[in-house]
Amino acid sequence: CTTASLTPSETLTQGYVIDEQALELVPVGSSREQVLLALGSPSTTATFDTEVFYYISQKRVRPVAFMNPKIVDQQVMAVYFNDEGRVDNIAHYGLKDGKVFDFVSRTTPTGGKDQSFVGQLFSGLSGGKPPAGGPFGNSGPN
Amino acid sequence: CAGEKDIDLTSYVQDIEPADTLYNQGLANLEAGRIKEAIAKFEAVDRQHPYSEYARKSMVMTAFANYRRGNYEDSINTAKRYVALYPSSEDAAYAQYIVGLGYYRQIRDVTQDQAEARRTVEAMDEVITRWPDSSYVEDAKAKKRFARDQLAGKEMQIGRYYLERREYVAAAKRFRNVVEVYSDTRHVEEALARLTETYYAMGLASEAQTAAAVLGHNYPDSQWYRDSYKLLQTGGLEPRENKGSWISKAGAVLLGT
Amino acid sequence: VQFATVASAEAAVVRSIEVRGNRRVDTATIREYVGIEPGKSFDPADINEAVKTLFGTGLFSDVRINQVGSTLVVEVDEYAIVNAVIFQGNKKVKDADLASAVQLKPRSTYSQAALDADIEAVRQAYSRVGREDATVSGRIMDLGENRVNVVFEIIEGGRTKITGVTFVGNNAFSDGRLRDVISTKQSNILSFLFRNDVYSEDRLRADEEALRRFYYNRGYADFRVISSSAELDEAQNQYSVTFTVEEGERYTFGDISIESTLEGVDAQSLNPQIDTRSGSVYSADNVEDTIIALTEEVVGRGYAFAQVTPRGNRNFESRTIDVAYSIDQGPRTYIERIEIRGNDRTRDYVIRREFDVSEGDAFNQVMIQRAKRRLDRLDYFQTVNISTVPGSQPDQVYLIIDVVEKPTGEFSVGAGYSTKSEATGTGGVSIEGSVSERNFLGRGQYIKVSAGGGKNSRDYSLSFTEPYFLGRRIAAGFDVYRQTRAYNDRYSSDTTGATIRLGLPITDSLTSQIAYNYSREEYELDDKCVDDPTTVVIENPCNIAPQILDAIVQSPWVKSSVSWTLLYNTLDDPKNPRDGLYSTFSVEYAGLGGDAEFVKLTGRGSYYHTLLEEQDVVGLVSIGAGHVVQTGGPLRLFDYFQNDTRMIRGFESSGIGPVATNGTDHLGGETYINASAEAQFPLPAVPESLGIKGAVFADAATLFGNDLAPLGTDMEWRASVGASLLWQSPFGPIRFDYAVPVVKEPTDQVQHFNFGVSTRF
Repeated sequence: CTTASLTPSETLTQGYVIDEQALELVPVGSSREQVLLALGSPSTTATFDTEVFYYISQKRVRPVAFMNPKIVDQQVMAVYFNDEGRVDNIAHYGLKDGKVFDFVSRTTPTGGKDQSFVGQLFSGLSGGKPPAGGPFGNSGPN
Repeated sequence: CAGEKDIDLTSYVQDIEPADTLYNQGLANLEAGRIKEAIAKFEAVDRQHPYSEYARKSMVMTAFANYRRGNYEDSINTAKRYVALYPSSEDAAYAQYIVGLGYYRQIRDVTQDQAEARRTVEAMDEVITRWPDSSYVEDAKAKKRFARDQLAGKEMQIGRYYLERREYVAAAKRFRNVVEVYSDTRHVEEALARLTETYYAMGLASEAQTAAAVLGHNYPDSQWYRDSYKLLQTGGLEPRENKGSWISKAGAVLLGT
Repeated sequence: VQFATVASAEAAVVRSIEVRGNRRVDTATIREYVGIEPGKSFDPADINEAVKTLFGTGLFSDVRINQVGSTLVVEVDEYAIVNAVIFQGNKKVKDADLASAVQLKPRSTYSQAALDADIEAVRQAYSRVGREDATVSGRIMDLGENRVNVVFEIIEGGRTKITGVTFVGNNAFSDGRLRDVISTKQSNILSFLFRNDVYSEDRLRADEEALRRFYYNRGYADFRVISSSAELDEAQNQYSVTFTVEEGERYTFGDISIESTLEGVDAQSLNPQIDTRSGSVYSADNVEDTIIALTEEVVGRGYAFAQVTPRGNRNFESRTIDVAYSIDQGPRTYIERIEIRGNDRTRDYVIRREFDVSEGDAFNQVMIQRAKRRLDRLDYFQTVNISTVPGSQPDQVYLIIDVVEKPTGEFSVGAGYSTKSEATGTGGVSIEGSVSERNFLGRGQYIKVSAGGGKNSRDYSLSFTEPYFLGRRIAAGFDVYRQTRAYNDRYSSDTTGATIRLGLPITDSLTSQIAYNYSREEYELDDKCVDDPTTVVIENPCNIAPQILDAIVQSPWVKSSVSWTLLYNTLDDPKNPRDGLYSTFSVEYAGLGGDAEFVKLTGRGSYYHTLLEEQDVVGLVSIGAGHVVQTGGPLRLFDYFQNDTRMIRGFESSGIGPVATNGTDHLGGETYINASAEAQFPLPAVPESLGIKGAVFADAATLFGNDLAPLGTDMEWRASVGASLLWQSPFGPIRFDYAVPVVKEPTDQVQHFNFGVSTRF
């Protein structure tokens, strides 16, 4: 067996793979198409206001198979465009800019048939009453 | 294991009963709640008098009866066959509506495959577009709204899964999808609040503020807005809700609540 | 099919529409299809449209529409309608299966062509279940009103057997060995059970692939299957299958090199990942493992798009293959979305969490394959296939995961038999019923409830496991159990206990487990063995060793302990291992409250290795040891190690080691060491398809050290040699051992024959 399977720790690179030379191809002033050509499509873009491209990459290490990978490095590269669609400036946000806090655990309720233990045994219960007005007006069953 | 016993062909006599008596027996059974027998009668009409007027009526009744009994697959197949054979008859709208209802009843929990929800939306759309003035359009719209809400719920569930693992890119994509595609569902509030959390955790304060602003503008008194507002105000230092001790969290996981 | 001829070209109006020739289809329905109404103008195009729609319904063999004066005459010839489809004489294939295989269905239109096609379809259905000589004939019964019944008469004939599977051109491996590789088996008495002697075209293709893989992994890089044919002997209703192969030369690895076009990745640093050593026998699997290991290593270093492609060139004289692994940058495509479909019961996150790759990450084939292997290993799905669909941008892709779930619940009733041990009276026939669910409520959790019993034993247990406790890959779970044993009706024990466990995988093959165990043992003397309280003298009617009597009197005993286990497992196939190591080591500290106070260390390692490739002889060497040390009060009688057939064969369970003065009650020992060497080989006379193998073995063991025991407490080796039969039966692996002790102590209790349903690691 290969020795690789003995070293327990494992590093995962996720998200966008930053390529240094490609960065030089998009100086300030280059067009939106040049950026797409050089850097590829962004991880995400600005939701509402003027055009911004975000290229986000994360590096995680999982020391041992049963533990969750921990973020060790996070790079966010924001490419801001001015109104003519030209690159205005490029900002870099590192891991230290990130904030660590607890996410709200409340969720918006959803419906759908969930199979309780009993449900798993007796699936296919009979349907409820159809809406008013059967196919034949009054003579239909309702 | 013994195979089915063969039918004795010589004694196979095909008793033909008039279509209308069979049909009315079916209706009577349905009225009395004996749905299984009703279906048998309606199918007899369809088999003994195929493509007759009564056959057409009993086909839609079989679809309805099957729906009442809860075997939605048969109900949907029969109703679909009816709409294909008699597209312009007055019951076509109801048959298409039954197709939508059949899928609607089978919509699963958001953590499972939402194929039925998607099919409900497609089937109900047919009812709304092809028979705009039929009496079923109102309920078709309601069911369609529920199905779309379910699809949005699935996007949120996957988004929260990625957010919990702090995989912000994947989480942002899913919440964005809800905001853009499912903005007419109840989940859009939470999606905007989650976007605020995701961007803020990544350090993109400006994006977080815009998402929170849009949420506040559209849903000023929503609890989600209050959470996002508090997050941005305190820089995430104060807990916004207490989630109970580690044990209760572990207990919740084991009991699967 | 003849189109309508229309008298006048310009728009016309009719006063009425007359329908002729329809016997069953309602006139009103036909009028509705024609769509032309009296009093409204229409033109030839409308007529053509009406004809097309009428034909479109598929109900009519011919349609003619003419205008006669002021009436439009619509003439139709109706197809016959199928009322019912009847299958006669079929036993092996159910009506429902045949009905789904044929086109003619109730209410569909009947045509002779459809009948002929269906007769062929029914014959195909029978050849798939291995009945080539089934004869099928079809006829129709006219029911009047243009309605018919379709009847298929079937004579099933006997099962088509496979008499022989022979190989031509193989000299490196025996026919027997190759028959073990392929899935088409010769018919034998048990084939009705295994059903693996049914000939099918695609099974033959799959066998060719299996042969190629088998040879490629054993150095035969030039191996080719020249032809594989099956002749059907109609008279005997049986096939004989022949594979003609050309083995070619056996290759070893030449020099192995790595080239990398990614700067920042130097080739030398990747050497530990290489699984193909120059000089060792060429094997396609090793090349594949190396590719995976290299890719995972390079991706781990941040080159998410890395791609490893092997280039091999043969050197015919020296019969070596040089392999060069070139590492370069694959296409920069990202995963836009991961869609999971078909999970009607399994929750989305149970599947998604097996992927280390998520949306927005780089698309890398090797990482996707790793996730697929993990999903297959879950054993919740019949099939898992992962496909890609272009995303919204040219460099984005959707990952579609289609799963087909399979039933993961099992309700099983099993009967077990283990040889009766005179010393303890345990063993004999036992039955066990259990209900288990591997994918409980689709949340990936495992739950099992089982109850069982034999003449003098009862076992009940409930166990639950959550594989991803708190979102981490920690298998947390608990077991609750109750066991009662009666020791040849002298005394009985009743143990109830519970364990809470946390399984922590370190790497793919190394896992560890921490557990807390609580158990309460209660012993009771049978009435007839109780001394008569009135007399002073202790008669001890059942002649029980005093040490056991003390233990019984002081029961119930509580053990509360924490244990830590390490398991290293690289077996290639758990059911029928040919290579790999399976070793466990565990430490148990008892003393967190309760009466037991000790530290118990146990370890065991079993190493499998294929000794002779051609004759498929597999060697197994295993060693084990255990030691228990008291940490507080004296050790209790039942804390000592007792021997069983896993320690040494040829002796009764609890039949060796320190013994009480009565010479029969063995009291166990503080330390044991055991070793065993075994060779497993296919039996020449027996056809492989029965799954029977033979083995010869030699065991040795010692069990010593016991403060409570007067005799036999020093370290004496016992040894035994023997032979066994291994059978991969449909009920699970069964093993018969016959062992003869060659070195033993006078007080040891011998037991030559042993039979049990168990896999031995």
